Amino acid sequence: MTVQMLSTKAEQAILASFEANAAKLPGGAAVAALRRAAIGAFASKGLPSRRVEEFKYTDLKANVKDVLPLATGGGTGDAATSLGAHFGPEFAANAVVFADGRGVAAKAGVTCLADTLGNAPDWVAAALADAELSASSDLLLNTALFSDGAVIDIAAGAEVAEPIVIVATATDNAMTALRHVIRVGAGAKATIVEIERAPEGSGARQSSALTQIAIGDGAEVVHIKVVETHKGSLHLSHWQVNLGANVTYKPFQMTLGEGLARNGLNVLFNGQHSTFDYGAASIVHGTGHADSSLIVDHKVPHCTSRELFKTVLDGQARAVFQGRVIVRPNAQKTDGKQMAQALMLSPDAEFDSKPELEIYADDVVCGHGSTAAEIDPDLVFYCTSRGIPTAVARGLLIESFIGEAIDKVEHEGLREALGGIARDSLTA
Amino acid sequence: MLEIKNLHVKLADEDKVILKGLTLTVPKGEVHAIMGPNGSGKSTLAYVLAGREGYEVTDGDILWNGESIIEMEPDERAAKGVFLAFQYPMEIPGVAGLTFLRTATNAVRKKRELTEMTTPEFMKFVKEKAAKLNIDFEMLKRPVNVGFSGGEKKRSEILQMAMLEPTLCVLDETDSGLDIDALKVVSDGVNALRGPDRAMLVITHYQRLLNHIVPDKVHVLADGRIQKTGGKELALELEKSGYAEFTGKAA
Repeated sequence: MTVQMLSTKAEQAILASFEANAAKLPGGAAVAALRRAAIGAFASKGLPSRRVEEFKYTDLKANVKDVLPLATGGGTGDAATSLGAHFGPEFAANAVVFADGRGVAAKAGVTCLADTLGNAPDWVAAALADAELSASSDLLLNTALFSDGAVIDIAAGAEVAEPIVIVATATDNAMTALRHVIRVGAGAKATIVEIERAPEGSGARQSSALTQIAIGDGAEVVHIKVVETHKGSLHLSHWQVNLGANVTYKPFQMTLGEGLARNGLNVLFNGQHSTFDYGAASIVHGTGHADSSLIVDHKVPHCTSRELFKTVLDGQARAVFQGRVIVRPNAQKTDGKQMAQALMLSPDAEFDSKPELEIYADDVVCGHGSTAAEIDPDLVFYCTSRGIPTAVARGLLIESFIGEAIDKVEHEGLREALGGIARDSLTA
Repeated sequence: MLEIKNLHVKLADEDKVILKGLTLTVPKGEVHAIMGPNGSGKSTLAYVLAGREGYEVTDGDILWNGESIIEMEPDERAAKGVFLAFQYPMEIPGVAGLTFLRTATNAVRKKRELTEMTTPEFMKFVKEKAAKLNIDFEMLKRPVNVGFSGGEKKRSEILQMAMLEPTLCVLDETDSGLDIDALKVVSDGVNALRGPDRAMLVITHYQRLLNHIVPDKVHVLADGRIQKTGGKELALELEKSGYAEFTGKAA
């Protein structure tokens, strides 16, 4: 492995920011050592560039020019106003809000990581030190800089009826880093929703959110993320997912706007007969850039993975889908299917779709597909010939395209909220 | 009244001329059939009436109730009462049939300065029309035409026609892909819409549809022009003699 010399101004600023803030960051000696090791590893790796396969189309080394001051609290936010128009009061009641990197509105069942770090439970401490996270420098950066996050521990057999909602907001010109650590016990059922807010009109911000979720045998988990971006915003999201046996895990990610967002998702099948059923919808405007890069690791036999990625692009917007599916030699009877589709509303939009199927087992069913197309003029004609005005017809067809992904969300209230957010973004 | 005057149409992005001086009048209350061999311009005529892109009117005009429609967008024509039942109805994945019908019905009503239907009014209306066409209401909850059989698609077209209450109905090869039972259902649906205020143009290759939808006049279209006009008996003659006479003349 080659050691890369730090070269960019941004990388130097990140190191300086760490030194300036290290004393303020939460955690005892063990966490401080973890942070120190992470920033050291980051210093040698630097920001991920296009030479790192997972960042092939999202070159942070080239894109991140300035580093904003790290926020470690002091912000205000309340669930009722932070959630946005489409999530009703029933969601606000269950929302935990992080403003400027620090929890401000807690709820039962969710602990703030910053409050527990001094005396963190073993499973939390082990998660923070997970070696898997040292592979990529965006994750190292989160370990070095996280100021808070949600700790959620769902007991075995528990059925959490209402979605648990985590909202992150920030004031302009701030960098934030949150770490969420989640454990779902065997046989439990839960829905977790993460919302990264950057409402219309907000200024520059840089945020990182790293969620680690370990799901016990037989549990059923729905995990949703909504990322709002706008011009000048950068959001780096990563989900590190460990599945037990007989798990049903249904992630859904929606990315909107004109900023830069990357959604990394690594899922490891550790137990047999589990299902990973991923849906994603992104609506990228103008000069926006939204990257979803997945690594689905079938380590054991008899598991199923599904990915449906849909994106609508206008202007010079760019969407990236990287779907790497690894089927290990003993992972027989793996059933993997992947589909990535882009609707291009402009000739200058770009969709980079890269399926990567690495199959080392011989008795598996794996497939993938990818399309990029304009709105079908024949369908527009069919609609307009029925009296539907052209703009309405196009809207209907775009909405139906993205709706196919949103329809994967079974919770009616959430599905409707996501549909409303998508409609707003499409008509923006 | 539909008046097509000396209509010349070419493909927009090729030099191919398809209609070469087509003249035709369909008064209100009448059903006219257009018959002709493959490639004679039948479907082009249907698309040009509905306003599909890709065709260029180089000469002549189309008047509907005295007003030229050739510069109008398809949705404006629909508001004026023009309806095309497609030979190959399109599938729209992701748009539920009911959503599509409601959007179309209310868009047309709005442009006709009628009040938009409320949900209960719409549901009552659509249930009534669907029942008459033997359309299972559950089918309308599915995406438009997706996974429908040929017969289901054609019935779905006639349902749209019944919902939009057009005054000029253009049916393009509505009999293609229909078995005899479906043909009867579809024809009954069309016949139910016959009325003194409605003009219909039934485009077909075969005579059999005209046993069910009996036309007032039959026109033979070949080589981009109306070659002959007669009563319903002309269809029977064509069934026997074929189109050779007209294609020969054309050549």
